[in-house]
Amino acid sequence: MTSTALPDDKTGGLTKRLTGMTLARREAWAGYLFATPALMGLLAFTALPIFASLILIFLHYDLLTPPKWAGAENITRLATDSRMFKIYWNSLRLVVGATFLNNVLGLLLAVGLNRTMPWGIRYVLRTSIFFPVMTTTASLAVVWRFLLTLDRGVVNFLIGQIGLDPVPWLSSSTWALVSAMIYDVWKSCGYLMVIYLAGLQAIPAVYYEAARIDGAGFWQQFRNVTLPLISPTAFFAIVISLIGAFQIFDNVWVLTEGGPGDASRVIAMYIYEKAFRGFEMGYASAVSFTLFIILIALTLLQFLGARRWVHYE
Amino acid sequence: MATTTGSTNTPATVHKAYRKSVWLHLGEALLWLLLICIAIIEIAPISWMFSTSLRDPKNSFDLPPDFWPTALHWQNYLTVINSPDIEFMLFFWNSLKIALIVTGAQLLTCSMAGYAFGRLRFFGRDILFGLFLASLMVPATVTLIPSFIIIRSLDLMNTHWALILPSVTSAFGVFLLRQHFKSLPEELLDAAKIDGAGYFRIYWQILLPLTGPALSALGIFTFLASWNNFVGPLLFLRDWDKFTFPIAIATIRGYMGSGNQSEVLAGIMISIFPLLVFFLLAQRWIVQGAAITGMKG
Repeated sequence: MTSTALPDDKTGGLTKRLTGMTLARREAWAGYLFATPALMGLLAFTALPIFASLILIFLHYDLLTPPKWAGAENITRLATDSRMFKIYWNSLRLVVGATFLNNVLGLLLAVGLNRTMPWGIRYVLRTSIFFPVMTTTASLAVVWRFLLTLDRGVVNFLIGQIGLDPVPWLSSSTWALVSAMIYDVWKSCGYLMVIYLAGLQAIPAVYYEAARIDGAGFWQQFRNVTLPLISPTAFFAIVISLIGAFQIFDNVWVLTEGGPGDASRVIAMYIYEKAFRGFEMGYASAVSFTLFIILIALTLLQFLGARRWVHYE
Repeated sequence: MATTTGSTNTPATVHKAYRKSVWLHLGEALLWLLLICIAIIEIAPISWMFSTSLRDPKNSFDLPPDFWPTALHWQNYLTVINSPDIEFMLFFWNSLKIALIVTGAQLLTCSMAGYAFGRLRFFGRDILFGLFLASLMVPATVTLIPSFIIIRSLDLMNTHWALILPSVTSAFGVFLLRQHFKSLPEELLDAAKIDGAGYFRIYWQILLPLTGPALSALGIFTFLASWNNFVGPLLFLRDWDKFTFPIAIATIRGYMGSGNQSEVLAGIMISIFPLLVFFLLAQRWIVQGAAITGMKG
């Protein structure tokens, strides 16, 4: 009897003792209080900037003189900015190439690593492949710049050893973008490997056992068990690599500096240069919004896709 | 299945099984080859960097390249550290200070908001949380220009606050921890409430200790993102004594890279050395964390 009465007494006493407020009101206050720090950060450095850049689009502003109303000038200028379209074309090629290679390699490496092998070998392979992900993009781009130098670069030396001509990796307009892509794949494929590895490990082993009993070989298991069941992971991985690749900046900034000419300039660099070299804040914001729209579309695709795969899982 | 046992002896199936096993071994062999080749390609630039950073500067451009140290010219490291015009250890301190403050701040603000959104009921909660979710879609490239104007009007240019303030919280962190807090069993909190624990005690003594993996994943990747941040320092910092590693190295490369590859590489080695040690110690959590959060350093 007493043992059942005790908790009631205690909670009843607690509410009365601690407050004049109701429990619900106290909880609400606590909720606002706990959410406030993050909310302030969000408002000051995400919400406010978004609104500010929506306004900036309609202004001419060079930071030094007071902003002037521009109407739709910045927006109409987008349509005639052939340099921007050329740079978007660079970005698109880099994004498609890097996303494709990163995901294909990431998946194959994950499949390779997800088999039974001695612990030590797995550790060495995984460590080697993942470590570049941890390193600083800008600093390792400096290293790759040395490696890809035309005359005394290591890569051209190794290529020369197998009898090929040296490649002007950074100084030719055809190769500069390829070099940026190679660097990105070197830097990121280990990350995709880890994502795919997590996806593979979530596939129940019974499916493979069933496939093996039915006499499915390595390739058949990969095609009929692994691929369908990894597709949600692949979808997620492809979308986040697309979003990431559209924002590549440090990589190209250090490796090729966008050159030669505009041959490897990407859109994030163009926005940066318009804003902080040319001091055209309004126009740079307009360009950044075109990128925003592309990335929003990709993100929505991800959310919609996520909803779909939850269904057939 | 019953038919397979019956027909194993016919030549056609034997042949088929043999062909299957050839394909199986070929696939296996190709995968091994790929794994080993890629592992070598991934690690070779780093081991080249280490080996070349230990070369005598006058041989630093010599070919063939080393992928394993042949000289042990540790003086390069001392030259970089003791260089009169660049205080290299100051960059280390700057990077570390900013990364630690940002990480601490994010763990605190994100977990607090995660508790509020995941566990407390208050008016407008879902709308506010929706705001965080929506801001997940906003890429850094878009907020760069107005953030610059805000930092400039707050008179924070060329200070470390310019890097710290925009990163005190992250929508992703709030989302991650809210999901985590929401998944904890209700009975746990009821028991604590009955024992008379207040909201702060529930958060600090019950929820946080149960959030280890999610917190450490968020912490690791926040730290990495800050340590590796390049655009922020490029935009906000002007003076050498304020620089962090990535921007300092990109700048050093500009004026001493053509003359002395070894010393620049020694500088980069110093800047990634903490990451290397950290990675070797905490690899398991880092790799798991990358998979859980889908975040990249």
